[in-house]
Amino acid sequence: MKKTNRILTILIFAFLYLPMLVLIVASFNTGKNLTVFESFTLGNYKDLFQDKDLLGLLGNSLLISILSTAIATGFGTFAAVGIHNLKPRMRKTVMSLTNIPMTNPDIVTGISLSLLFVFIGTTLLHQKESLNFWTLLIAHITFNLPYVILNVMPKLKQMDPALQDAAMDLGCTPAQSFFKVTLHEIMPGIISGAIMAFTMSLDDFVISYFVTGSGFLTLPIEIYSYTKKPMQPRVYAMFTLLFLLIFVLMVVMNLLQIRSERKKTAKQETTKSGRIFRRVCAGFCAVAIFFGAGWLIFSTRQDKVTLNVMNWGQNIADGSDETMDIIAAFEEKYPHIDVNYTTYESNESLYAKLAGGGVTVDLIIPSDYMIARLIDEDMLNPLNFDNIPNYKYVQERFKNTAYDPDNAYSVPYTWGTVGIIYNTKFVDEADVTGWELLWNEKYAGKILMFDNSRDAFGITQFLEGISINTTDTKELQQAANKLAQQNPLVRQYVMDQIYGAMEDENAWIAPYYAGDCMMMMDANENLQFYLPEEQGFNLFIDAMCVPKCSENQKEAELLINFLCEPEISGANMDYICYASPIEGARDHMDEYLAESQVIYPEDSILEKGTSYLFLPPEVNRLMDNLFMEVRISGGDTSESEEEPSALPVILTFAGLGIAAAFLFLPKKKTKRN
Amino acid sequence: MEFDGERILDGINLYFNDHEFLTLLGPSGCGKTTTLRIIGGFLTPTSGRVLFDGQCINDVPAYKRQINTVFQRYALFPHLDVYGNIAFGLKVAKLSKEEIQERVQDILAVVGLKGYEHRRIDSLSGGQQQRVAIARALVNRPKVLLLDEPLAALDLRLRKDMQNELKRIQQAMGITFIYVTHDQEEALSMSDTVVVMDKGRIQQIGKPEDIYNEPKNAFVADFIGESNILDGVMLADYKVKFFGRVFECVDKGFAPNEPVDVVIRPEDIDFVPAGEGHLVGTVTSVTFKGLNYDIIVDFRGFKWLIQTTDYHGEGETVGIRLNPEDIHIMHKSEYSGMFGDYSSYSAEYDELTEDVADEEE
Amino acid sequence: MKKNKSILLSAPYILWMLLFTLIPLGVMVFYAFTDPDTGAFTLGNLRDLGLFLPTLGTSVWYSLLSAIICLLLGYPVAYFIAHRGAVAQKILYMLIMLPMCMSFLLRTLAWVGLLETNGIINVILGKFGLGTVEAIGTPGAVILGMVYNYLPYMILPLYAIIVKIDSRLIEAAEDLGCNGLQVFGRVILPLSVPGILSGITMVFVPAVSTFYISQKLGGAETMLIGDIIEKQFKTSNNPNLGAALSLLLMLMVLVCTGIMNRFGNEDEEGGVVV
Repeated sequence: MKKTNRILTILIFAFLYLPMLVLIVASFNTGKNLTVFESFTLGNYKDLFQDKDLLGLLGNSLLISILSTAIATGFGTFAAVGIHNLKPRMRKTVMSLTNIPMTNPDIVTGISLSLLFVFIGTTLLHQKESLNFWTLLIAHITFNLPYVILNVMPKLKQMDPALQDAAMDLGCTPAQSFFKVTLHEIMPGIISGAIMAFTMSLDDFVISYFVTGSGFLTLPIEIYSYTKKPMQPRVYAMFTLLFLLIFVLMVVMNLLQIRSERKKTAKQETTKSGRIFRRVCAGFCAVAIFFGAGWLIFSTRQDKVTLNVMNWGQNIADGSDETMDIIAAFEEKYPHIDVNYTTYESNESLYAKLAGGGVTVDLIIPSDYMIARLIDEDMLNPLNFDNIPNYKYVQERFKNTAYDPDNAYSVPYTWGTVGIIYNTKFVDEADVTGWELLWNEKYAGKILMFDNSRDAFGITQFLEGISINTTDTKELQQAANKLAQQNPLVRQYVMDQIYGAMEDENAWIAPYYAGDCMMMMDANENLQFYLPEEQGFNLFIDAMCVPKCSENQKEAELLINFLCEPEISGANMDYICYASPIEGARDHMDEYLAESQVIYPEDSILEKGTSYLFLPPEVNRLMDNLFMEVRISGGDTSESEEEPSALPVILTFAGLGIAAAFLFLPKKKTKRN
Repeated sequence: MEFDGERILDGINLYFNDHEFLTLLGPSGCGKTTTLRIIGGFLTPTSGRVLFDGQCINDVPAYKRQINTVFQRYALFPHLDVYGNIAFGLKVAKLSKEEIQERVQDILAVVGLKGYEHRRIDSLSGGQQQRVAIARALVNRPKVLLLDEPLAALDLRLRKDMQNELKRIQQAMGITFIYVTHDQEEALSMSDTVVVMDKGRIQQIGKPEDIYNEPKNAFVADFIGESNILDGVMLADYKVKFFGRVFECVDKGFAPNEPVDVVIRPEDIDFVPAGEGHLVGTVTSVTFKGLNYDIIVDFRGFKWLIQTTDYHGEGETVGIRLNPEDIHIMHKSEYSGMFGDYSSYSAEYDELTEDVADEEE
Repeated sequence: MKKNKSILLSAPYILWMLLFTLIPLGVMVFYAFTDPDTGAFTLGNLRDLGLFLPTLGTSVWYSLLSAIICLLLGYPVAYFIAHRGAVAQKILYMLIMLPMCMSFLLRTLAWVGLLETNGIINVILGKFGLGTVEAIGTPGAVILGMVYNYLPYMILPLYAIIVKIDSRLIEAAEDLGCNGLQVFGRVILPLSVPGILSGITMVFVPAVSTFYISQKLGGAETMLIGDIIEKQFKTSNNPNLGAALSLLLMLMVLVCTGIMNRFGNEDEEGGVVV
């Protein structure tokens, strides 16, 4: 029995540490892949210390967790003293209030807070940016407070109440007696509460994810959105360093604890080193808080204009792989502008961010149909073309488009097609006949599908011969049924994650945007792009727009103008592998890309492409719901013809309600006795 | 004084004299600690006044009173060493370093803890902690020192030593001690004045001898020492009737035929051969107590405790004599009939009444 | 009385918690009963929930399963740790705590690297000629991710309770004729029930609401309720339906934790985490 326990424990520890070991090993890997260890290097650590963005995010994370921990600890300690002296029934009520953030799922806490902030900020105060640093800080303080309270309260309970009386007896005012006596007694509780709060806050993703706007990101949020390419190995390097840091901290704390326990049992006299250590700790905290606050003041009082740009992932040249660092070049040209660059995964998620309120964005690059929707819903500002002289380079066929007929709101950024990328090693060329490849049961479990309703429906509609801009419910239902047939074959519904899955050959077939496919083909030569020209395909334009919530439109227009310069556009396309709508840009591109049929298909093929048009909101919602249904109920959508019945929901709610009443009401009664 | 709507103290009227060793004595929950906390300033009475040198100090908070306290279980600060604890009050008062040093050293000499300055509190024995607590209070040179059951946590031997020590310190320093205890022996041996309390009321104030010899009611008689308490009728001065017999006594001033409580201390009773006694009864139990035997004798269904050095076996018929000075007469009170019957006597009787949680909470 | 003043210290806290925990939940309820387009009162969001009940069922099933697996794996480990020497206990405790402090996103991503078709595990299996295991996208991978992420949340409360069991009780049981197994079944296990319950709660609650684990390790068929809620907010832009879903999730969790508390003799101050 004991032996099996020991073996099991060893296995469990191996289980817990194996993934971390993988990450640590990967931090010394020259390759970017977790799976293949190419050769040993320390270069990732060098990269890490040169990556200002990553360090800045780490700084943000530390700032928010140090500040929120410090505030919550101070606030919580005093509150605990107050709660401790409340009458028992009141105390119980307050403690159940304290337990709400502890027992509620994080996602519920995050959502309810973000709804509150947006409701207050946007609906009531008409703020442009109702989700920001401060909301994040408030959220962190709110979920840190219970950790402090729950750690301090037991210490207060344990404390001999006569100690306070003794201090008062010896001439202390109540406040003095708190600081001279009580504080020392509850210090272990305060420290463990603070440590717990700090680690929870530093690693929090879920709540932060819902509560923060685009202006202030923390490391976990960035890591979450880092899915497009295999993670930069410098992130693993950071993980390794943090691991070491926390490991050392824990060992030191444990050693101190063991030492102080020994001291107690050994009945030694008080040593000065203990006191000195405490002072050093206090000093360290003070310095950390001071620097945190200083940093905050410094970072918020910058003279520079912060330009918030929101773009697709991997959709601007960033200097890697010998390309041009566009943002850096722009900032060099306009030193007064500081670009804050964030990404989104799909047009729909961009729309959700904008419509959800709470963010300020100055420049976005959505696709055609989304621009039409944004114009229709009055969410874009008309551009001032005086600031964009380079508009003259835009090719005529990208002017007077269906989505922006008056050329008032948008300047095209890229254009491209949607096709199929497949792995020639596994996929039989004979099967590559059209969109039906994505429904081929031979490749079940190896097919990826778009994780956004419009593109997923679009493909199905091409296959079924329905217009991709249909508003007919029956036709949409028909497409949904077809998608439902596909569901059992699909490995995952993905957007940016497609990169890893295709490049590592974990999946073999996927529909995606041509430029991204080009990038994947660069990474894995077995990959091939196919455009089902006979059935039709989506031809899309991504264009730059300034949303209504922008605060720096002029600077945004400067960037638009900058991106329209043929050299810049060409250099940019070298990285993102899309076609440029800018006259002359092609000449500045790498020859291999400029000649590629994937990027610049022949005009005869292009004519067979169709663009998405604006659809009314109810159609969008119907499409969203149908897609959700496909994903949830798998192959079975036969029932979805009828209106969803309210009965099961009512029954569920009633059941939950009765259960809750049954559980909580009699309990209260027994408590009162 | 009311607490949570419950009356804890009622009609307390007490005077403390300078340089006096005064003890508040009573069972757990009698209000003695509450009285002490009111004097110390940790509780504000709901009615009534606390006067100090003629001034009302009801609204003076604890930290401004010239009164210090030695707490139950000492309440020493665990994060400070011996020196830090004793110097605490002086540091709060912002005395000069040299003066603090000097006064701490002086008081350490008084309590006999020289050389212990930098010991951790949790490395001290109970008796040493006790001395630190006393030193910590006395170093501030209070006019009054309050001691809340300071010896309760010590074992018997140490308690005896500390009793003498406390008395010595009190006499050496010449300040007023107000001492709270539920241990009657401690109260009698140390105090100048004993205040017996029960149910929030003062039952009797007096010198230890008076309290013992002339208890005012059945409660005091029972609480201070052991007592057999009987119903009687005062026929006239110096004449009391109980058990159907008239006895001579030394008390007077009662109304004729007034019903009274009669107290007979167990150690005052002398055995005589059955034929010669005022009363005749049967021994029902004998317990050896070291110094004496505790013998329970049944007199017509009423059981008496008799403490004697003579052995009498169980079932033996014995007689007793009662001398007039052995009979104490008390007015009837609310306590009449509650005490003084040893029908359910057992050797653990004493311990059972103690160790009940203190008042409050 | 003097205590009144210190009570005032709790007032700002109570205010803060009301403002940032109770009122947000109120706002959430408000959204759940509001039409996304018109802003009028509606029960439509609740009606739409019907579609997601199977998903909720799946989420509950997966997370209960992973809570039970955590218990089965975690109990022997907690028991083992609790019966080491003082120093060894500290070290092992620390080693359990350590993963909790590290980014769970990256640790979960590492599992993706391990489990992928061409991942580390399959490469190793391949070297031994054992073929490949298609793990990613299966319910198994999701449950594994849950167990991996939340196992420490099970071990720590279990350890805390087991280490407190008075060894004299075990001796007493042995004295009264229990053999090793009986001691465990009749004394140790009943005494560790509070730890088991709080462990199950602490695994179940985050597991039932996760969306990251199922997004990374799950596939087309392993959508969880957390995914759907996240999508309502982050892509479908239907916060009203999202709020209704959250409300459902919250009620469900409330009932589940209520049932847990029912089983155990609940503590006055509620379960302290870790």
